Amino acid sequence: MKRTLEAAARLASTAVCLLFLTPAAPAQEALRWGADPSGGAPYVYADPSHPDTYIGYEVEIADALAKAMGRRAVFVPTDWETIVQALQRGAFDVVLDGLEPTEDRARQILFSKPYYVFNLQLTVRKGETRIGSLEDCRHRVVGTLSNTAASRLMEKQGIPFRGYADPVGAYRDLELGRIDAVLMDVPMEMFYARSNPRLKPAGEPFYKGVYVLGLRKGDEKLKAEVDAAVDKIVNDGSLETILRKWSLWNDAQLELRAASNPNGGAAAGESSGVKFEMTSATFNWRGAILRLTQAAGVTVLIAFGSMFIALGLGLLLALGQWKGAAGLRFLCTAYVEFFRGTPVLVQLLFLYFGLPVVGISMPNWLTALVGLGLNYAAYESQVYRAALEAVPRGQWEAAYSLGMTPALAFRRIIFPQAFRVALPPMTNDFVSLFKDTSVAFAISVWELATAYREMANASGEFLLLGAIVSAFYLAMSLPLAHLARRLEARMNRRRAVLAVESEVAA
Amino acid sequence: MIRVENLVKEFGGARILHGVGFDVGERQVLGVIGASGSGKSTILRCLNGLERIDGGSIECDGVRLEAGLTKAEYQRRVRELRRKVGTVFQHLHLFPHLSALGNVAEAPVQVLREPRRDALKKAYELLEAVGLAQAAERYPDSLSGGEQQRVAIARALAMRPRVILFDEPTSALDPRRTNEMRALLRRFAAEGHTLVVVSHSINFITGLADRLLYMEGGEVVEFGDAQQLLNSPREARTRDFTQQAR
Ligand SMILES: Nc1ncnc2c1ncn2[C@@H]1O[C@H](COP(=O)(O)OP(=O)(O)O)[C@@H](O)[C@H]1O
Ligand SMILES: [Mg+2]
Repeated sequence: MKRTLEAAARLASTAVCLLFLTPAAPAQEALRWGADPSGGAPYVYADPSHPDTYIGYEVEIADALAKAMGRRAVFVPTDWETIVQALQRGAFDVVLDGLEPTEDRARQILFSKPYYVFNLQLTVRKGETRIGSLEDCRHRVVGTLSNTAASRLMEKQGIPFRGYADPVGAYRDLELGRIDAVLMDVPMEMFYARSNPRLKPAGEPFYKGVYVLGLRKGDEKLKAEVDAAVDKIVNDGSLETILRKWSLWNDAQLELRAASNPNGGAAAGESSGVKFEMTSATFNWRGAILRLTQAAGVTVLIAFGSMFIALGLGLLLALGQWKGAAGLRFLCTAYVEFFRGTPVLVQLLFLYFGLPVVGISMPNWLTALVGLGLNYAAYESQVYRAALEAVPRGQWEAAYSLGMTPALAFRRIIFPQAFRVALPPMTNDFVSLFKDTSVAFAISVWELATAYREMANASGEFLLLGAIVSAFYLAMSLPLAHLARRLEARMNRRRAVLAVESEVAA
Repeated sequence: MIRVENLVKEFGGARILHGVGFDVGERQVLGVIGASGSGKSTILRCLNGLERIDGGSIECDGVRLEAGLTKAEYQRRVRELRRKVGTVFQHLHLFPHLSALGNVAEAPVQVLREPRRDALKKAYELLEAVGLAQAAERYPDSLSGGEQQRVAIARALAMRPRVILFDEPTSALDPRRTNEMRALLRRFAAEGHTLVVVSHSINFITGLADRLLYMEGGEVVEFGDAQQLLNSPREARTRDFTQQAR
């Protein structure tokens, strides 16, 4: 069916060409290649001067490969973290995005011959004196991209690292002092860090890995085509031209030329004769559960911390809105409307990326804690307000008649009653807050949602890990939800008693 | 003890009290009677400072409220006044989150800064005095209307006021309880309190009040000795009300 459609489309385009009396070009098959263009320089990224077109050395390599194959290169933007899954779903035909061959990926997809030999480079702040190599980072935090040779290397060596979705964020956090070093493939390091006056390389480039194209299992025919095309552009110098243009050429690339003579079965760590190191995500369930438990701890910390802020600030907002002078009342209302009317995700991103511009920078977990706290304060203030208004005016008058000041009456008489009314909805909000901590993944906080995404992407264990993570969430939220229901039931019983009594009294 | 002169109260331009005047001597019981809406509760609310007066003056045990005072000065005097005046509201307004004992002890601890132990001991004695010792630990929503009312009375007494204001103290009581309540209030007067009791029940007021104030439409129709006002009123309107309400 699909084929007939395609044929029909081709026929139609040919017809159009004929109509315009242009010589009908031989209909070219597409080579759809997937890559992540966000923070993707110098691989593939939106041209700063023409944001609607993509540039990068891999764009040019894709074009060269497609040309060698007699095809037409079509770029499909995608997300790095899920690039293997997108390939498997058929979103595109090949991955061409600085993909390194790894053992766990080898179980899921096919690799082409290598087209680039890369090294890793450690980067630190200009004034840094303590860090000269990766070994010096044992007790520091190193930023890198998730699920790359660099992240797997550090995981294996037990060096604490934080995974980012793009290099820009990692180098920015390094500048801000949120992390101590960044380890990245040399192409990215050259493009994002080498010219930054506040950063400097620490030590020499090390490690030797290769980039290959990724293909779906079973696509052997396309793999043969691609391998032949790689050989062609390696040997005819067109690859060298591209790499030189992007200042990525070095002598290490010559190995590819020597290796491209088709004469060897590829063993692990050796593809067509090029010797390279290969990392693998060593996935073991014990380690996974341990890291998930850690992540759950972070989730709990963020949830409790932000609820604490929300309850305190929410009360102040409610009081300001309720009894404040006109100006204060306006400010409080503006606060509430702002935080309820904009997405919490945007608020978090603003706190994390926007505040450093004016000199305020917090670590990411604290940003999440404060951000969610500020956001939930807006909601809790309304819970408080409704609860305060639900306390009858007679309670104030009775307190005043006993000689209490307004502050004392509020503290001892009004607030305790309002708090009881507010407790069930607050507990419910707390349950939502637990789930909302997952937005912290947007700023790479290692909480449950981030942990799930990163570990599942690295291992492919989406189902089982998903079940475990859900179990973690439920273990935290179910008892709370149960508590909320019990409180609510008790409130309703009390209200029913009061209603009966007032009927009797009337 | 209490002298009210030419008291005027307005709500949003509508005049509710039109120059009310009366006085109550020490240890006397003043009964305030009149139909519903005649302004009885409003007089009490002016007497304990919950409403600010718009004309005239109130003098109570040396504290003087006047219409012309600045807001701050009025507030200061109201605070002083509330040290001397206790109130038992018609709808009681017990604190639902505190036990009977807590209701009574709360203000002595928080306002008078009495040591907690002493305040609780005294609160227990007060509950005992109104016959509620066995209910001290119970919460208001588990008490009957009459029990709640006695908690409210004990709560007011705990602040040792010289004057106690009662708004419709019998509205939730059956006849037997009404007689008990009358005896209780008489005892308070004998013990040295000055009482102002608002009621629309002539039966209850008879034998309790020394002086009577009969209100109609926010005006004083007749004010004088209770016996005389009930038996031989000067005004026909008073006679109509007392006979009808009996
Ligand atoms: N807060 C208020 N606002 C407006 N009108 C009020 C308010 N309180 C009382 N009134 C009016 O004042 C009048 C007297 O009320 P009230 O003193 O409660 O009468 P009583 O206690 O004798 O039944 C009534 O007409 C009532 O509607
Ligand atoms: Mg009334």
